[in-house]
Amino acid sequence: MVVRWIAALAAFIIVILIGMVTIGNFGTGVDPENFFDTEGADSFALIGAIALVFAFVVYAAVEYAQTGGLASIASQFDTRTIVLMPIAVAINIILGATVANALKLPIYLDSIGTILVGALAGPVAGALTGFLSNTLWTYVVPPPFQNGPAAAFGIVAVVIGVLAGLAGRAGWLRPRPNRPIGELAVGGLIAVAIVVGLGVYAYTRFYVETFEFVNPDNTDPIFTILGWLIGLIFAAFVLGFLWLLFVRRDLTVAYVTVVGVVTGLIAALISAPISANVFGGVTGGGTDFLVAAFRQAGADLQTATFQQGLLSDPVDKLVTFFVVYLVLAAMARRTKARFPQGERLLEDAGPADADDGEWRRATA
Amino acid sequence: MAEGDRLTGSPTEVRGVPDFVGRPGPSAYHRLNPLTKATSATVTAIAAVAIGGLVGPIVLVTLAVIGPALAAGVLGRLVRTALLLALPIAISAFLVNLFFFPGAEQVLLRIGPITATAEGLGFALEILVRILAISGAVTLFYLTTRPADLTVDLERRGVSPRVAFVANASVQTVPAMVERAGQITAAQRARGLDTEGSVWRRVRGVVPIVGPVILGAIAEVEERTMALEARGFTRPGRRTLLWAPPDSSAQALFRWALLLGLVALIAARIAGWPS
Amino acid sequence: MAVLTISLAGVGYRYAGATGPALLDVDLELAEGEVLGLVGASEAGKTTLCLVVSGLAPRTVGGQIRGRITLDGEDVDAWPMHRLSQRIGTGFQNPATQLSQVTSSVFEEVAFGPMNLALPRDEVVARTWTALESLRIDDLADRDPQRLSGGQQQLVALAGLLAMRPGHLVLDEPTAQLDPAGTRLVGDAIERLAADGASILVAEQKTDLLAAICSRVAVIDAGRVALVGPAADVLADPRLADFGVTEPSPVRLGRAAESAGIADARLTEALARG
Repeated sequence: MVVRWIAALAAFIIVILIGMVTIGNFGTGVDPENFFDTEGADSFALIGAIALVFAFVVYAAVEYAQTGGLASIASQFDTRTIVLMPIAVAINIILGATVANALKLPIYLDSIGTILVGALAGPVAGALTGFLSNTLWTYVVPPPFQNGPAAAFGIVAVVIGVLAGLAGRAGWLRPRPNRPIGELAVGGLIAVAIVVGLGVYAYTRFYVETFEFVNPDNTDPIFTILGWLIGLIFAAFVLGFLWLLFVRRDLTVAYVTVVGVVTGLIAALISAPISANVFGGVTGGGTDFLVAAFRQAGADLQTATFQQGLLSDPVDKLVTFFVVYLVLAAMARRTKARFPQGERLLEDAGPADADDGEWRRATA
Repeated sequence: MAEGDRLTGSPTEVRGVPDFVGRPGPSAYHRLNPLTKATSATVTAIAAVAIGGLVGPIVLVTLAVIGPALAAGVLGRLVRTALLLALPIAISAFLVNLFFFPGAEQVLLRIGPITATAEGLGFALEILVRILAISGAVTLFYLTTRPADLTVDLERRGVSPRVAFVANASVQTVPAMVERAGQITAAQRARGLDTEGSVWRRVRGVVPIVGPVILGAIAEVEERTMALEARGFTRPGRRTLLWAPPDSSAQALFRWALLLGLVALIAARIAGWPS
Repeated sequence: MAVLTISLAGVGYRYAGATGPALLDVDLELAEGEVLGLVGASEAGKTTLCLVVSGLAPRTVGGQIRGRITLDGEDVDAWPMHRLSQRIGTGFQNPATQLSQVTSSVFEEVAFGPMNLALPRDEVVARTWTALESLRIDDLADRDPQRLSGGQQQLVALAGLLAMRPGHLVLDEPTAQLDPAGTRLVGDAIERLAADGASILVAEQKTDLLAAICSRVAVIDAGRVALVGPAADVLADPRLADFGVTEPSPVRLGRAAESAGIADARLTEALARG
């Protein structure tokens, strides 16, 4: 058992080292002319994600060699999960295509199915759902839904599925209603602190030159307006979050918010180098306008893509996690309970179905 | 069921697998093994990115996309579909890079605060050609291969039947769900839902449709699970396949050659070739 | 394949997280060549009993069971679902959700079950054609299952079950979601199967259909078997209405005639016997 994890860890480190050698040390200068950006720092999350996949493959291979089977992985794939996955893939593709093509909003909304499967069935199932969604979206789904760039972002979808699965497994998506005000306040404070902290860090690191709030002569007026707009939206979000938390009195709102924002950040980190290096920063959706705006401000391709991602992805994943939370809340208890991780999404353990006397459960 | 009746006996005449199962394609390219076509599409797409520049992807597209499309007789459809697919991205990419390329010197055009630059134009053309190459490669695969063919081939080679099931079911679920969304939209419209108009209105219009579609599909999960398990789905291991697309050692060799070529190309580019 | 008797002895079942049992003290037998009808008000336990007999409860659905279920004396408690599905085929109400959604022709859809069993290809093909012919839908073999009518889809689902060569069929309200044309289509098919000697447990609200094909009928009320006996007797029993079941039309006709003074009880019974 330990051997598997050590082998996986070793594979992870080796792939990261290879990535660093290939792409360059994290922290050198930018050179947009070359095919591979020499600033490795931009791609560290992508390399990490690729290393994760390799580590998983090694883990599975070692388990197969040891036990002749893949029990720890296969247990996530019972019939119910297999039936849910195509539905999840279809939801991903249809919503994603609608938002990108018809609504042209600067978000994606193509991960609802991935996160749903991750929460209900586990990290591997979620990862596979994400991967299949993106691959099928490019190669197999007919126009008007077909999306050319999607397959390149398969690795992002894999990581999103893993994060959702881990969040579900940790019980963070379990409803926690009717908590006392004190508990809600503490949870709310922590969540707001984390999110605002990340926001401030992101601003000082990436946006300080672009958005000038105080001195409008330094930059285009459009950025002052945009900056204030984003600031207002951010403030509105924090207020809305607090309202939601205290009106619904469900502590899980805080958990969902943090998980959503963090997943969005990680997704942005992984997808930015792919978008920049392969597609020149544009993928045909509403997000391209943001990239254009940031490039107008003088940012190079990699930075502009990342700046766009840092705005779109956390919002997108936050909304997605909330949608999944609402869908889970609407599902009957009985429906959820039969999924591999379903028990961790229930409010409480429920009446213990004790094997009392002659009542017995299925043995096969 | 009584012995000797038609339920346990043999069919009235000896019939084999009907010919509409796994019907071969109309052209030689169609009849290539699906894995070969998939490898070709993927390698072409990745190579288009790796090669960079303008000439490379154009040559690649001619060889790997336009040539086979001509041979397969799908060139017209390919051009229409690939262009349609690439159009939104292409326009975005072109405009964004043409006008918003920072640090560029040679100005071509100035419209108010934004300027079109020659460097931007060069980069925009590169991205355009690259996107067209990827779009063409992927569309060629899509036009000449049925999804079920690829999953059957993969299953024959050892992929789990459950993964194949998910892939196949996903392909069928997308149009089914779209149809159901259409029905729900019509029903909601009849109850006064406004789906036209401003972006905000359209976004609000999406919610009363998406909710029932998602929840309706999830409600079916229990029934579908029971129906599948009633038909032996829980049996572990491989299952019988009615047919499989033919393969040849020549094609296998070709696939390996493509993959090795791609690796060599990437290695060369990392090392700094050509300039 | 030899047909074995399914026996339920003292069987009870409760769904996961439920407070009370959905079935209690059920003793039932389904023998070779017998068609047993199941009637009862909605939520009385018809579907639950179907799921328990077929083995889906508790294997797929969860929950807990008590009592013994045997197949010709052998306890099936430890049998996995894919083994049980080869002895007992289960059909459901909704024709569309029984489609596998991975096939593009009726032939492949019907072959889905035998393929899962990893039988030799010739065997799979032979079983598929046999099943299609026995339900007279071999002309639909190349059609897309998603594009068929509800009744046709229900027949395809039935053919898919027959291809597994089960000894018994359990059908939970097969015509409930069909229009009159589909109901007739499926009803006729089930009648032919019954006439050919199939063993079927069929739950239905449409007592006319049951009157035509069943040798015995059981009435379920609040999770218990309230009444069981020869079809004609049970379906003419005056207590049916109390159990929330509509009598077959001949019986209703006879009773109406009785209360109008036109006929007497013996005529009603004669009508009930068909």
